[in-house]
Amino acid sequence: MAQNVTNVSKTEEVSSTRRVIAASSVGTLIEWYDFYIFGTLAKIISEQFFPKDNPTAALLATLATFAAGFVIRPFGALFFGRLGDLIGRKYTFLVTLVIMGGSTFAIGLVPGYKTIGFFAPAIVFILRLLQGLALGGEYGGAATYVAEHSPAGQRGFWTSFIQTTATLGLFLALGVILTVRQTLGVETFSDWGWRIPFLLSSLLVGVSVFIRMRMSESPMFVKMKKEGKTSANPLAESFKEKDNLKMVLIALLGATAGQGVVWYTGQFYALSFLQNACNVEFVQSNVIISIALLIGTPFFIVFGALSDKIGRKYIMMAGMLIAVLSYGPIYNNMYDTANLKTKIEVAEKTTVETNEAVKGTDTITTTVTKKTYDDGTTYKETKKLTVPLDEAKKAELAANGKLKPETKKEVTLPQSLYYKMIGLVLIQVIFVTMVYGPIAAFLVEIFPTRIRYTSMSLPYHIGNGVFGGLVPLISTRLVEASKEPGYSNPLTNMINSVTGHIGTPSGQADPLAGLMYPILIASVSFVIGMLYISNKTNNMDVE
Amino acid sequence: MSAIKKFLGIVWSIMGVGIIPLVIMQAMKEIAAKPSEENWIFWSIVIVVLMPIISFSLITFGIFALKGEYDVLE
Repeated sequence: MAQNVTNVSKTEEVSSTRRVIAASSVGTLIEWYDFYIFGTLAKIISEQFFPKDNPTAALLATLATFAAGFVIRPFGALFFGRLGDLIGRKYTFLVTLVIMGGSTFAIGLVPGYKTIGFFAPAIVFILRLLQGLALGGEYGGAATYVAEHSPAGQRGFWTSFIQTTATLGLFLALGVILTVRQTLGVETFSDWGWRIPFLLSSLLVGVSVFIRMRMSESPMFVKMKKEGKTSANPLAESFKEKDNLKMVLIALLGATAGQGVVWYTGQFYALSFLQNACNVEFVQSNVIISIALLIGTPFFIVFGALSDKIGRKYIMMAGMLIAVLSYGPIYNNMYDTANLKTKIEVAEKTTVETNEAVKGTDTITTTVTKKTYDDGTTYKETKKLTVPLDEAKKAELAANGKLKPETKKEVTLPQSLYYKMIGLVLIQVIFVTMVYGPIAAFLVEIFPTRIRYTSMSLPYHIGNGVFGGLVPLISTRLVEASKEPGYSNPLTNMINSVTGHIGTPSGQADPLAGLMYPILIASVSFVIGMLYISNKTNNMDVE
Repeated sequence: MSAIKKFLGIVWSIMGVGIIPLVIMQAMKEIAAKPSEENWIFWSIVIVVLMPIISFSLITFGIFALKGEYDVLE
């Protein structure tokens, strides 16, 4: 009889924990979805909301907005973290969800630059900041809430479900964007269809708010509040008291900074590299990333659960070290897989089509060249030259060297190379799961309940948001800088000497230059983590 | 191990301090060579956001390490 009662109570406990995980995870997943559709649609948003005169500046402006979304996250962590430690976890991360959903929906409604001029980028910028603020408050709340419901000894396992949400959110964002784009067609999507993924968010957020409203407050927070032990000033206690500040610093420098850059390199930089350095066609590159993310996601749970057995530290550090050592060869392999210079063209299959049309005051000449290579790779180059009908304007543009065609290059890989590319991205996603799977449990366990929401949110969002979030901006910049004469990259030199490749000719971008930033940050983080972080934090009592 | 942690505390602090002039000089050099909007945005983000975080955290972390604050985490 007693055995039956124990079994029933255990089953109820597991079922209750599962409900908590599901309710927390769905909301966090939707917040990530909201956050990533903006980043994934960066190019289109740049065209819609920023002046078109200088495409690089427009793209950079979007990336800066993207970075602003990340840079603002630590402020959200402080603001909502403080609230969460003062009034409770449940209501705080309910508010973050509503702010995120509202701002995402509003981005989908903002008229373009052509319609309202400068107000368009200004409004989008403000909404993006609100998104960052909300996300800053969400993650810490969800991780803390789940950890405080989890039984001791299983915290890594249960919190790892929250860890899957960031990747699944990106997967969902890519999936929705691809589906809408395929359904509406490229032109309609670029025109107004890109708004649908933003508007769809309101529906998802509505469902999630409904689920979260029915959840109860964290039992540890309730107990602490009853005993009158909550912190009166979580910010001061977290960052002014030496014992907490030193843990915040070690969490940032020894764990989250390295985790952040590995996370962004494995998911975002990989996509950007496929599209910009390898010129892999839009749909194919997104599908490659999506499949790798989907296959890799269960490993968050595997490494989260493993960290309950062997400790958080060694799994995270191994992930960082392997990433640092293998990024060069992996990206070199990705580049070579799509590199047309290493393939033989099947000349008889080459076609060239030219079309000329008058649109308004311009003549638009479009030349499409299609090539096929011996391994089945196909290449499509579209050159679009816009020439004003007005002779004086035409002469002026020609004199300023602005009469150049816009060139779009698209490489489509055959089945075997496509699978190989998925494999190469998947390896990086596994590194992501190693560094990211156990980190929520690690962060929760090093801070006390009374200031946990505030203390863990800040290092997480600085590491993941600032160090990681700036990967696209800094890496793009490093690739641009590699075009300068006299440029030398130790990583590329080493790979070239091992593989026998000849270096990039002067004036051309070095595709591997962008990796120097994540490699440097992850290396420093690895050294600090290995030396200063204890492996004994697993299964600590989080009361 | 404790001695290495303390010695590296000096290294982290020096890195934290050293990064400030290095980044500022590089920014000035690149902006002077090409004063484009693109350059200004990039270096503003690095100088206003990234550099202070790296410097402050490395210097403070280094001082804590030098004082042996992390020795108890063995």
